[in-house]
Amino acid sequence: MRSTPKTRTRGSRWVAGIVTIAAAAVLGGWVITHFPRAPIGPRFVGADQETPRSGGTLVFSASSNIHTLDPHFAYDTLSTAACRLLYDGLLDYDYEGKMVPSLAASLPEVSDDGRVFRFTLRDGIKFHNGREVMAEDISWSMHRLLSERIGSPGYPFFKSIEGAPDYHVGKTDVIEGIVVLGPKTIEFRLDEADQTFLNAIAMPFAYPIAREHVEALEKAEGRTAVGRNPIGTGPFALGRWERGVQVEFERFEDYWDPRARPDQMVFLENISSDVASARFRNGGIDIIYRPSKVNRLFLRESKAWAPYRAEAPSPSVFALGLNCELPPFDNIHVRRAVAFAIDRSKLERLDPGKVIAATQVLPPMLPPYDPDLPQGQVFDLARAKEEMRLAGYPNGLPEPVTLWVRGEGEVQLAQFFQQDLKAIGIDIELKLVTFATYLKETGRPRVAQAAFTGWHQDFPDPSNFMDILFHSRSIHPENSENRSFYRNPELDAILDKARPEVDRTVRLELYAQANAILAAEAPWAFLYYPIEMFVWQPYVKNFRPHPVWLNEYRNIWLDLPRRRVSQSVYSPKVSR
Amino acid sequence: MIRFIAQRALWGFVVVVSVVTLVFFLIFVAGDPAVTVLGPQARAEQIADFNAKKGLDRPMVEQFFSYLGILPCVRKDSPKYEREDGSRGFCGVLQGDLGESYSHHESVAAVIGFRLPRTLLLASMAVLFELIIGLTAGVIAALRRNRWSDTLIMFGTFVGISLPTYVTGPIALLVFSFLLGWFPFGGYGIDPLDHVYHALLPALILAIAGAATYARVMRGELIETLRHDHVRTAKAKGMPPSQVVLRHAIRNALLPVVTLVGLSLPFLVGGAIITEKIFAWPGLGLLTIESIESLDAPVIMAVVLMFGVAVQAGNLLADIAVAALDPRIRLND
Repeated sequence: MRSTPKTRTRGSRWVAGIVTIAAAAVLGGWVITHFPRAPIGPRFVGADQETPRSGGTLVFSASSNIHTLDPHFAYDTLSTAACRLLYDGLLDYDYEGKMVPSLAASLPEVSDDGRVFRFTLRDGIKFHNGREVMAEDISWSMHRLLSERIGSPGYPFFKSIEGAPDYHVGKTDVIEGIVVLGPKTIEFRLDEADQTFLNAIAMPFAYPIAREHVEALEKAEGRTAVGRNPIGTGPFALGRWERGVQVEFERFEDYWDPRARPDQMVFLENISSDVASARFRNGGIDIIYRPSKVNRLFLRESKAWAPYRAEAPSPSVFALGLNCELPPFDNIHVRRAVAFAIDRSKLERLDPGKVIAATQVLPPMLPPYDPDLPQGQVFDLARAKEEMRLAGYPNGLPEPVTLWVRGEGEVQLAQFFQQDLKAIGIDIELKLVTFATYLKETGRPRVAQAAFTGWHQDFPDPSNFMDILFHSRSIHPENSENRSFYRNPELDAILDKARPEVDRTVRLELYAQANAILAAEAPWAFLYYPIEMFVWQPYVKNFRPHPVWLNEYRNIWLDLPRRRVSQSVYSPKVSR
Repeated sequence: MIRFIAQRALWGFVVVVSVVTLVFFLIFVAGDPAVTVLGPQARAEQIADFNAKKGLDRPMVEQFFSYLGILPCVRKDSPKYEREDGSRGFCGVLQGDLGESYSHHESVAAVIGFRLPRTLLLASMAVLFELIIGLTAGVIAALRRNRWSDTLIMFGTFVGISLPTYVTGPIALLVFSFLLGWFPFGGYGIDPLDHVYHALLPALILAIAGAATYARVMRGELIETLRHDHVRTAKAKGMPPSQVVLRHAIRNALLPVVTLVGLSLPFLVGGAIITEKIFAWPGLGLLTIESIESLDAPVIMAVVLMFGVAVQAGNLLADIAVAALDPRIRLND
């Protein structure tokens, strides 16, 4: 009696099992065939309007967070980008990288000796609180920027103003070299001629901020309150800031430049590139830069996205820094051998569209960059071997060289070059250190034999690369900016002559000489210039990469209302 | 009991002070905060200015005791550094001053004040999901022991425990947010309901491992409890089976789970660091990562201090709670 029900149960279990598996297979098949596909082109297009018009909300994002909206502390990319919406400077750069007046009515009058710069303000510029901007505001903002009390990292860029160092340490109450000549006229007098002063004036550090607002805030809530409650003169005023989440900027109706802009800008913070890229492809973000690798490769190949994509080299250079004080790189021929032995095209193949091979210290958009520089560092194994012979090491170096690297990405990169350098008899040992240790130790003389290094311009002037990185003045017992410890009196003399030179042609010629020396003497074996990729939705208009400002969205307008389109319009079948 | 609490509190204090001391000096071993905060572009002059402003040019021991609030303030940017009467005040932990973040240009209390509620929201939703999913699954598995539903649940818990959040998180984002569009694609949202909506997916992901653990513990405990005499008696007196399970079995089986929840809280916050990174959830976890990367010492110290105090207080409270719940446990023993 017992066995019958047992057998029946076992049989029914089998049936139940088979039915379940069959049902799961059917369900699985249905899910697979009906599962939504990733969009292959933009999900939304614009309204096809020709005339720019204001309105709408532009949403963009970054993978980190904005640290401050106080321009006097804005020294990171994101804070700078946000301050570019909230503030204006006396001077700015156009899309060709040329300096143009902004709050100033015209470029300044410069004295013959290149020491005095006189600016006249435009009429009708207002702070977001409605008050007109006067020359006194420029002067007060500069005094705030350069005071020791504030401790802005911007001070070194302006210390050539007469009396600025004394004022900075509290010896005087005013800066002699900043003189208000009239309600709208201000003059800056320098200790010595310095053409980079105008570049400094165009930096966000020098953006004016409303005095009465700052003083009231500092009194009520302390110095740091200014960073979260800014009042500037820019095309957008601060709406709301949910810290670490998003900042909302509202269009400033009384802005002096009346071109069409969105009513609102929303800057999403802390959105990783993966998340941002996917959100963008779903239409949730209007413009992205630096998409994640997978998305970058997709967007690069996609024909549907091609009209809404731009790639532009970043004003940066990356290199192997070779310590010229330590063997074997105290020998110029070994340095040159390294520079010739590296096959930079591997990098371009490793990550297509991400980098271009570097031949010199200056990035391609910065004059006097020369694509055909005779001394340019290129891969040439025969010359590399010849340089090793000239160095006295025809069979290679007897000891391995230690290369300092700052993370897994650089380890991978270094492994590529290990093979290249092995070919000329140089063995590389990698030393993986934290970023903090790297910065500390490579800034000390005679510590790191070789290290991955790089530079991103503070402002578009060759001096910002050459003076700071290779002048012997930049060598210190600690925290040297010249991390290859390269000393060349000839280069120093050229750089000292070029910096104050008023004649632009002569100045560029001097920097071209310096550029050639640096490529030939190879304190750095230049590796690559990074490329920035931007992609925007079809309804985002008037965007193009800016040669100076990374996230320059202040001139965008939106072609609204946007319309959702079927992805089938992008499918190859239809396009055929 | 009071003696026990005092002893534990003293030990907790010693542990927190030791951890804070260790981390304070470790940060300096890790590198120069000024150089890291200002970045590779920093000029020597900027670094010197920064060090002077933050008191980092003072001897390390003086900085440490000033940080604790035992020695006068060394931070020139603090209003306490030079009081109105010209004397130097104190600006340390003892005075409730955690300093100013190097990179956020804001008081540490304000920076953490923005982030902490977000992590607490995520963690509390995760605990809720852990308990709801874990306990339900555990009860079902125990009541349907050795049936296919039990096998399926146990297999599920095995997978749940094995899969780390850095695997499940991106997959969940890809499927449920990117392709299906059921959940927001990362982020935090802008109003309270939106925050909860944004927290659903990360909280579920964060809850997977905990839910799996609770399910296994609950299953084991419930099976054990169902064998007890009082349960048999309840059944014998004719109580409906659902009442027996609910009133007599589950209640008793819950005790170890309660202890587990208490102990898991620090791990939950630890797990939140990775989840926050994946889901772009701007909480304390993300702040911790950023601060360590940028060597923002005041924020790192504050986070360490906060976690240290929270873990010690949590453990103490758990001990007290268990003693209060179970009269057989005597803390003085």
